[in-house]
Amino acid sequence: MHAVYNFVSGPLLWVSFILFFGGSVYRIVSMVRMAKKTDPVVYHFWSLKYALRSIFHWIIPFASENMRKQPAMTIVTFAFHICLFIAPLFLFAHIILFKASWNISWMYLPDTVADIMTMIVIGACIFFLVRRLKLPEVKYVTSCSDYVILAIVAAPFITGFWTFHQLPGFRIMGIAHILSGEIMLAAIPFTRLSHMFFFPFTRGYMGSEFGAVRHARDW
Amino acid sequence: MKQHSLKISLIITLIMMLMAAYSAHSQEEDVKTVEDDAFTEQMRPIVPFLHDEHNEIAEIAECGVCHHVYDDNGLLSEDETSEESQCSECHLPAKSKDKTELIKYYHNQCKNCHLQRNAGPIMCAECHVK
Ligand code: HEC
Ligand code: HEC
Ligand code: HEC
Ligand code: HEC
Ligand code: HEM
Ligand code: HEM
Repeated sequence: MHAVYNFVSGPLLWVSFILFFGGSVYRIVSMVRMAKKTDPVVYHFWSLKYALRSIFHWIIPFASENMRKQPAMTIVTFAFHICLFIAPLFLFAHIILFKASWNISWMYLPDTVADIMTMIVIGACIFFLVRRLKLPEVKYVTSCSDYVILAIVAAPFITGFWTFHQLPGFRIMGIAHILSGEIMLAAIPFTRLSHMFFFPFTRGYMGSEFGAVRHARDW
Repeated sequence: MKQHSLKISLIITLIMMLMAAYSAHSQEEDVKTVEDDAFTEQMRPIVPFLHDEHNEIAEIAECGVCHHVYDDNGLLSEDETSEESQCSECHLPAKSKDKTELIKYYHNQCKNCHLQRNAGPIMCAECHVK
């Protein structure tokens, strides 16, 4: 157990950080390069004002027509993303590990709040899963990789919840938690989870084209 | 007669000394948990720590491994120990409300040795047992 823990929380953690940060820079740089070569119009039309205007309307709940049409999906997606970022970044257990290894710390959430946010993320993943299984129009565009991605995202939260509540087998789950967290981090740049970086670009481009060229709203 | 009362008072003093010694001894033995006074409100369950038993099975002979004293040059003192002080007396920055500093010292001492020796608890739930 100690050898596994040492490996998973040492070298593997570095591998996942390097894949995450290195992969992110690589993906963004190569996308910008690609666009310059194959889609120079993107640069031609790009307008910071309209890009920001569109991004703004798409990160505020119910600020776009599409969101108003799907209230349940909108609420779940926003709750999911907020908790997805806030819970792990401000989790006490994570902060105390940073403090112990690198002597840095920042504000943290009470454990009960983090626990509730964790349950929100898990619940949202179940919602996304059911939606993909049940709604014909979503099922039609769903491939196997969509389920794998959902599992990759849900795993750190399920296993983290498990160890926190000291449910049976929490030692194995603790190891599984660290592993699954690392897999998720490493997967972000190389899977559809990279929508985190591409969102501002795709949305921004849509906004620019609609705003500056078509003089229309895209939300 | 006088001799008799002297004997009695001697015996009583002896018994009292023994009792004092015993109670002092049992106080030391009584350490079954780590409960630093600096943690006024506990966020996690109390850590069970059977002091003497732990040090026996872990084969730690030197008290100074945990109850250490550092000299002015920052070197670990060979022959001095600090078991009369709680860790927080040295490891909680004055007036600081940030308890993560003190927690770090506890965790580094306990967990790092367990990792080095490949034995003993290393995960939150193993020490902070519900
Ligand atoms: C593995 C680390 C460790 C070792 C080795 C160790 N102690 Fe301790 N000791 C502790 C901890 C932790 C406490 C609890 C402190 C608290 O609750 O504030 C403690 C408490 C004590 C106390 C009670 C102090 C109080 O404030 O109530 C005494 C006395 C003591 N130890 C003496 C010793 C002696 C003597 C030795 C050597 C034979 C020794 N200890 C070895 C970790 C250790
Ligand atoms: C008499 C003051 C004093 C007491 C009491 C004391 N320490 Fe220390 N400790 C120091 C000093 C001084 C250092 C060296 C400077 C530093 O690292 O902060 C140190 C260093 C450390 C370190 C880092 C170096 C190492 O040995 O790995 C840890 C961890 C630590 N102490 C934990 C503890 C714990 C746990 C307790 C209670 C059982 C404790 N200390 C009690 C003064 C003290
Ligand atoms: C110098 C090394 C060392 C330090 C420091 C140390 N431990 Fe340990 N501990 C061990 C070893 C070795 C074992 C495994 C003993 C065995 O099972 O063979 C162990 C086992 C344990 C166990 C399980 C066995 C038992 O006694 O119930 C607990 C709980 C524990 N340690 C708590 C602590 C806590 C809390 C601290 C910090 C205050 C601490 N340890 C500091 C070496 C250390
Ligand atoms: C090797 C044993 C050990 C492990 C593993 C460990 N702790 Fe601790 N922790 C301690 C000891 C000993 C103290 C001092 C307890 C005291 O004095 O009340 C402590 C103190 C704390 C405190 C401050 C006291 C309180 O309850 O508010 C918190 C919070 C804490 N630990 C959280 C964690 C978290 C989160 C983890 C996992 C990342 C963890 N600990 C892992 C031994 C451990
Ligand atoms: C990669 C290295 C990681 C390490 C070493 C790690 C370590 C830990 C530890 C020790 C706990 C505490 C369990 C407890 O409180 O008893 C925990 C809880 C948790 N972790 Fe991680 N973690 C990692 C990555 C992640 C990632 C990437 C996420 C999510 C994106 C995540 C989400 C969580 C959550 C949500 C909890 C708490 C569950 C709750 O409070 O109910 N972790 N983690
Ligand atoms: C700023 C960062 C991010 C933005 C703006 C963003 C935005 C979005 C949007 C707009 C959706 C689509 C909702 C829909 O289908 O209508 C979505 C879905 C999703 N996002 Fe993100 N996201 C971000 C970061 C992340 C991260 C870091 C992760 C995980 C690591 C993540 C995981 C997911 C998942 C799992 C879905 C749902 C997929 C499904 O429907 O099965 N997102 N996100």
